[in-house]
Amino acid sequence: MNHVLNITTTNTPAVVERLLQVTRYRGYELAGLQLTPRSDANSLNITLTVSGDKPIHLLTSQLHKLYDVQQLELVSAELAVLSA
Amino acid sequence: MKGAELVLQVLQQHGVDTIFGYPGGAIMPIYDALYQSNVKHYLCRHEQGGAFSAIGYARASGKVGVCMATSGPGATNLITSLADAMLDSVPVVAITGQVSQAVMGSDAFQEIDVLGLSLAVTKHSFMVRSVDELAATLHEAFAIAKSGRPGPVLVDIPKDVQLAEIAYHREPATAAKAAAIYTSLANAGKARALIAAAKKPMAYIGGGVHMAGAMTQLQQFLAANPMPSVTTLKGMGSVAKDNAHYLGMLGMHGTQAANLAVQQCDLLICLGARFDDRVTGNLQKFAPHARVIHVDIDPAEINKVRFADAALLGDMKQILPAISAGTDCAEWLSHCAQLKQQHGWRYDHPGERIYAPLMLKQLSERMPDNSVVCCDVGQHQMWVAQHMRFSSPRNHLSSGGLGTMGFGLPAAIGAKLARPQDTVITVSGDGSFMMNVQELATIKRFRLPVKIVIVDNQRLGMVKQWQQLFFNERYSETDLSDNPDFVALAAAFAIPGHCITRKDEVESALEAMFTWPGPYLLHVCIDDKDNVWPLVPPGAANEEMITEAKA
Ligand SMILES: Cc1ncc(C[n+]2csc(CCOP(=O)(O)OP(=O)(O)O)c2C)c(N)n1
Ligand SMILES: [Mg+2]
Repeated sequence: MNHVLNITTTNTPAVVERLLQVTRYRGYELAGLQLTPRSDANSLNITLTVSGDKPIHLLTSQLHKLYDVQQLELVSAELAVLSA
Repeated sequence: MKGAELVLQVLQQHGVDTIFGYPGGAIMPIYDALYQSNVKHYLCRHEQGGAFSAIGYARASGKVGVCMATSGPGATNLITSLADAMLDSVPVVAITGQVSQAVMGSDAFQEIDVLGLSLAVTKHSFMVRSVDELAATLHEAFAIAKSGRPGPVLVDIPKDVQLAEIAYHREPATAAKAAAIYTSLANAGKARALIAAAKKPMAYIGGGVHMAGAMTQLQQFLAANPMPSVTTLKGMGSVAKDNAHYLGMLGMHGTQAANLAVQQCDLLICLGARFDDRVTGNLQKFAPHARVIHVDIDPAEINKVRFADAALLGDMKQILPAISAGTDCAEWLSHCAQLKQQHGWRYDHPGERIYAPLMLKQLSERMPDNSVVCCDVGQHQMWVAQHMRFSSPRNHLSSGGLGTMGFGLPAAIGAKLARPQDTVITVSGDGSFMMNVQELATIKRFRLPVKIVIVDNQRLGMVKQWQQLFFNERYSETDLSDNPDFVALAAAFAIPGHCITRKDEVESALEAMFTWPGPYLLHVCIDDKDNVWPLVPPGAANEEMITEAKA
């Protein structure tokens, strides 16, 4: 199942690696990645699409802990149903 | 002032007076600044040892431990210890020198991508790009290391940043404050209802309770809600020694009473623990009748491996009083007391040879109050957990999550420097001791009165035990019978020692060790056949323990 995460992070050099490292280590596959600096250039808008059989909260709860992550929102329709 | 001096200024601002490290090219400016600083630097003999000393310092004191290393090999040598701090949630700040920014990215001499390496083994890491960011970054590093669920933070500082000039105005350390702990008591009512309704409640206590400073609240909770309790390796010492309902450690080498009672309980109250696989055994069969209350500061631990019927996040000090409901379970308490009595330890080991569990019990009874015991990893580590009693988790430093051989000796150095008034004892194995044996030189240099007890079975005993039980007695590469003479080895570092082989020598040898004012090594030879019991075999439920009689 694909999950789409909208993430706002500080614009620091290793931030994308951190997101990808956690995603891989926690057992999810990368299915898409989009990245745009926000107008102030201090933060990034990232859309991370991952697939995996495990419940997605196991990934989002770990991503939330990354110090550079400012906001994280799960937008996949599948999960909206699950968590409702 | 230079960036290098600024580093030391900021450390002092955070109350750091003790650091562990090893110099090299890319961190020379900071070592130059140390030369005239009030911060006391303890030279380790391998960066892994230095970082373990920082961990020992942090765990024994509750303060942030600080270590330093140069770029490249210095930094890579830190990695194992940072991983250890990560898995055991130890607040450590590691400062590494990096090559100058002008040559970064060119495979310069001793250049390694330390920030990249740090991702899997730190809570967070920084690369400082400009001296203007240096102070703020270091403040942030301290705030992150000790806030929430603590952990290691690495700060990589290029040499040019260390050399750059900056006009330093002491800024308040609070400039960078980590997010305040958010405590949610939303599920407190649910938890109270579960506790009030439980017929067989059980407290399962991890390292998170003492790290939250909630030892008093825990005793109050257990007094107001009488129930049996068990602890993890990291939680040992959390329950007051006079609490009659304490059943010991649970898990793979836990006590029979602890494991049986947890399997039977109908409510498991998990306090600052994380259902580690060494605790649960077969997860599907773990505490099968229990509803679960889970209290933790890390949201990611909730529902990670075991579903929580009621989860409470945040400050343990606030949560424990909020979930107190009173219990009424006299029958269960007496059942558990009976389990404890029925499955008590036996020390009537036949023969003349030293029986490590008994020797450790004698050590535990003889050591001064508030002694710190630093373990290594293997059978001796499990015997320490089973047969020694501690009055606080700060007095039992054992590498839990990573299970890192070589932890004990350097951790003891850090513990001794953190708590010079208290006795510090390393209990190591003949395998583990050799993994950071070079730190004897640190003990020698600073005349640190650390007591070293080597439990020598001439084997990588824990691995040998598994070979015996699960690999058809094929003893592949676990024989250490040609180890050096440990007493002679200690003597080479001006540390006196003594070797014992018989039971009747133990008391006087311990007496001699504690009477001697300086560092001392006691070499305890035991039978290589002795194993750790009980043992929950891989894949089994915790009630399916193999005991000595059954083995
Ligand atoms: C750095 C490291 N390498 C390997 C292991 C695997 N291991 C776990 S226990 C053990 C044996 C330890 O031997 P010793 O220190 O003599 O302790 P004993 O079990 O004999 O008491 C080994 C090799 C480990 N835990 N850590
Ligand atoms: Mg051994």
